[in-house]
Amino acid sequence: MKSAQLKIQQMAFMILAVLLFFVLVGLFFINFQFKDIRQGFSELQKKQTISALTVLADMPELNCDSGESFCLDEDKILIMTSNQYEKFWPVASIKVYKINPFAEKWVKCPASGCNYYEIYNSNQKNVKEYSIYVSICKKIKEFDYVYTKCQTGKLSAGVVENED
Amino acid sequence: MKNKKALEMNFALLFAIIAGAAILVLAIYGATKLGEMKRYQTDTEIAKEISVITDPMQAGFAEGSFGKIVFNQETEINNICFSSGFGKNEVSVSTYSRFGGQLSSGGATSIYNKYIFSPESQTAEQFYVFSKPFYLPYKISDLIFLTSKNYCFLHSPEEIEDEISGLRMPNVKTANCSSDSVRICFNSFGCDVNIFGTCMENCNSAYDEGYVEKGNERLYYSGSLLYGAIFSDPDVYECNVKRLLYRTAEIAKLYEQKADLMNARSCSTNLKADLILFRALAESSSSKELAQISQIAKQIEIKNRAELCRMW
Repeated sequence: MKSAQLKIQQMAFMILAVLLFFVLVGLFFINFQFKDIRQGFSELQKKQTISALTVLADMPELNCDSGESFCLDEDKILIMTSNQYEKFWPVASIKVYKINPFAEKWVKCPASGCNYYEIYNSNQKNVKEYSIYVSICKKIKEFDYVYTKCQTGKLSAGVVENED
Repeated sequence: MKNKKALEMNFALLFAIIAGAAILVLAIYGATKLGEMKRYQTDTEIAKEISVITDPMQAGFAEGSFGKIVFNQETEINNICFSSGFGKNEVSVSTYSRFGGQLSSGGATSIYNKYIFSPESQTAEQFYVFSKPFYLPYKISDLIFLTSKNYCFLHSPEEIEDEISGLRMPNVKTANCSSDSVRICFNSFGCDVNIFGTCMENCNSAYDEGYVEKGNERLYYSGSLLYGAIFSDPDVYECNVKRLLYRTAEIAKLYEQKADLMNARSCSTNLKADLILFRALAESSSSKELAQISQIAKQIEIKNRAELCRMW
């Protein structure tokens, strides 16, 4: 092989090596950037879920209409378990737990002895729930007297956690 | 021998030039793309942040609330509304580069459970957000108004003046207005926005229902939708009204089912028939029928108040 040919080959290999080096550095950097984006997205989702909890409790589809914050209407909750609001909700899942009296096992409503309602579930994996305490109330009429019967509950909203 | 050396020098020089140029081109291309990607990421994050920070802005059980969004440079906020079903507002942000002018928008954030009234596109460093609850007759949602211009309400009726001054928004004034303000008049012509109240029955004020004239457009409103008609573009307004009417119908359906549950435990109500009619009306109406819907809603509200077991 002539010296000039050898030089050309050397040059070609060198250029390839340099290019490969930059591609690898680029890939590493892009991967790092995407990890940053995923973290940012997850962080924003979490923030949104926490701030959405009070908004959810005040929504006319769930609240008591009595002008009280953090009060959910049990009748509405029961109806909403079968309503198809889907994308409307700003979170991955919405559940309402009756926590008083304390139950060792969670039974989904409607069922006898049930103690939690699943209003929405996007069926996504890796969902973490954030909760606030609420009153779960309904209007009762006894002996021509109408009163509001309430119990303590927990409104939970789910957010998809970053798998990394 | 001399010629061979010259050839060797040429190879080395050629290699340095080709490799150097390739590296330089790649570096410049990479840096530009990276800058664009970073800007896209930031703009997308801002759009999502707008969705998050408007959560506490929602009035809840309050009469209204106000807040301010401040950017450190000129920023364009775009609000596109889609009215199918519950519909959505798609908010996107474009920041202005100090060197290269405006760049394309970041990724849009879809907001399904809020009703954002604003122009389709507005550019400013400071944006003002306020919210008002919307009732028809039960609460439907909190309306969010996103503005950047200055507004001047001239000779406004007492109840509207009280409402505006209560919010203490620095860009909405009723006196001592700047010359660049959008002028708003009541029951008269000649301003940028002219409001006409048409409420005759069961009203707190003539402006409970009416219409807003802006240029050649006439936007019909009821209740707090008045501010939506003033502050947003006609397309965004009509789309959000359609979304609100759809939700009104869905909530009416919810109350119909609630009536069944209440009747089953002897806490009976006579509102179901009214709610079925009201739902059918809300489903098939547009902003032009708002005054009619509002009147029916007021009658349902009177009936509800007379009930022993109130629905809401």
